[in-house]
Amino acid sequence: MAVINLKNRQIECKLVYYGPGRSGKTANLEYINKNFSKQVAGKMISIDTEGDRTLFFDFLPIGLGKIRGCDVRVQLYTVPGQVKYRATRELVLRGADGVIFVADSLAVRREKNMMSLKDLHENLKKMGLDIRKIPLALQYNKRDLEKEGLPIMSIEKMERELNRQLKVQSFPTSALTGEGVGKTLIHTIKLILAHLQKEFKWADGV
Amino acid sequence: MDLITRIKMAFKEAELYRSQGLLDEAIDKYTAIEALIKTSKNIRQRKSILEKIASRIDELNQKVKRISAPTPPPKVTEDAQTLMKEMFTYDDPDAKGSSSLGGAIALAKFGQYDKAIEELNRLLEYKSLRLEAAKHILSCWMHQNYVDYAVTLFQKWKKTQFFPPDELELVREHFRELLSSSGIQREIGGIELQKTIEPDSEINEEDILDISATRFSLPGGPRKGERVEFEVSFQSGKFIQFIVPRREKDLISGLHTGVMLKDIVFYSPAAIFSGTGFLSSKKAIEAGPKKGDFSFSIKIIDIKS
Repeated sequence: MAVINLKNRQIECKLVYYGPGRSGKTANLEYINKNFSKQVAGKMISIDTEGDRTLFFDFLPIGLGKIRGCDVRVQLYTVPGQVKYRATRELVLRGADGVIFVADSLAVRREKNMMSLKDLHENLKKMGLDIRKIPLALQYNKRDLEKEGLPIMSIEKMERELNRQLKVQSFPTSALTGEGVGKTLIHTIKLILAHLQKEFKWADGV
Repeated sequence: MDLITRIKMAFKEAELYRSQGLLDEAIDKYTAIEALIKTSKNIRQRKSILEKIASRIDELNQKVKRISAPTPPPKVTEDAQTLMKEMFTYDDPDAKGSSSLGGAIALAKFGQYDKAIEELNRLLEYKSLRLEAAKHILSCWMHQNYVDYAVTLFQKWKKTQFFPPDELELVREHFRELLSSSGIQREIGGIELQKTIEPDSEINEEDILDISATRFSLPGGPRKGERVEFEVSFQSGKFIQFIVPRREKDLISGLHTGVMLKDIVFYSPAAIFSGTGFLSSKKAIEAGPKKGDFSFSIKIIDIKS
């Protein structure tokens, strides 16, 4: 849940990267941490197993400077993607102001994408939130593998299967090369700020 | 596409899945390659390739088994624990009244039980928070399967009248639910018990080496948290006894019977290992050459490594 202090003109909001295991959620944060260092406002914290799979979450705070007179900070989180960490995903997702769903473009991960999106939908519902109303963007990650001749799903197929009803903005990305990572982040932050403006009218009169 | 090209592409795919940590997919692909190679006897070094594939599948299966095995949540860094405390203190019915309580509960939800218990113990001092703190302390011990210790703790609160009767009843009710949902039948009410219940030890006495010394963090007193080494004065199986000279009163004041010591390092001539122990007795020595000194004993509950 966003923390808005209109007196001090400070806004802090939470953006969660969700998706199946190994889809590139942590890779997104690692790319942002390395390549947007001017905006990074603190240490990246990763809690993983043997430096490999996210166990609890990754965390990266970023500062966007002043937007309409307000000091805006965004806390980026990733959830663990493995099926068995369902309870942790619920915990990390709580209070999210926006979500980036990182889907895996590999054809063999098609079902995992759909199960994970269903999981997100159910967890948001438990929190009293509607997946259609929360600031949300889709990433179709690992697009760089297409050049290697490996079987990845087409954007059209992924749109049909994941975005037919949601109809949110989607981005082809490669968290490895950074393609689309920044665009997804900026887009989703804008959605969050617009959503907060509508709820709290924090930019009125500025 | 000829067979060799298909096999090469399949290997490339399998390797990609393996490198991406998609272990099940990699196993499926290697299995498919294996089947493909078996359809033709004309592949060069067929036998050696099949052996390598079998070995790779085995390696991946081992890794899947390791990853899927249930493991207790690891203790994370202080930075991460601080983050858990501060960032996951959300508006929750369990966290009524205080962000400190919410922080401690968040730690427990992330499996950081030791830190959660430490925070919750501090909150026992506050009348408005102690009831919720006590409930969550018991939950933390139960989550770690230290049932006997949780019972001992509850009885200690009962005996020392730590809570007024109405609050104690609420704690008892909560504890009963915890026990019941774990399928454990244990009497926690009724007759006052005079003796502290000692937790059962998982250790076979024959497996315990001769221990010459132990090191653990003092659970209380003026030097709380300090890791101190104690020389063993006597050992009988899983019970080890220590003598503390009277001049080290600040050490002995930090030790209380009924405390579980979770981070003990045991030193023996053959090995160093760690485990958990229960402080089962403590007394002043009233006669003999060590009169005036203190002794305490630890029952070894389990050995971790």
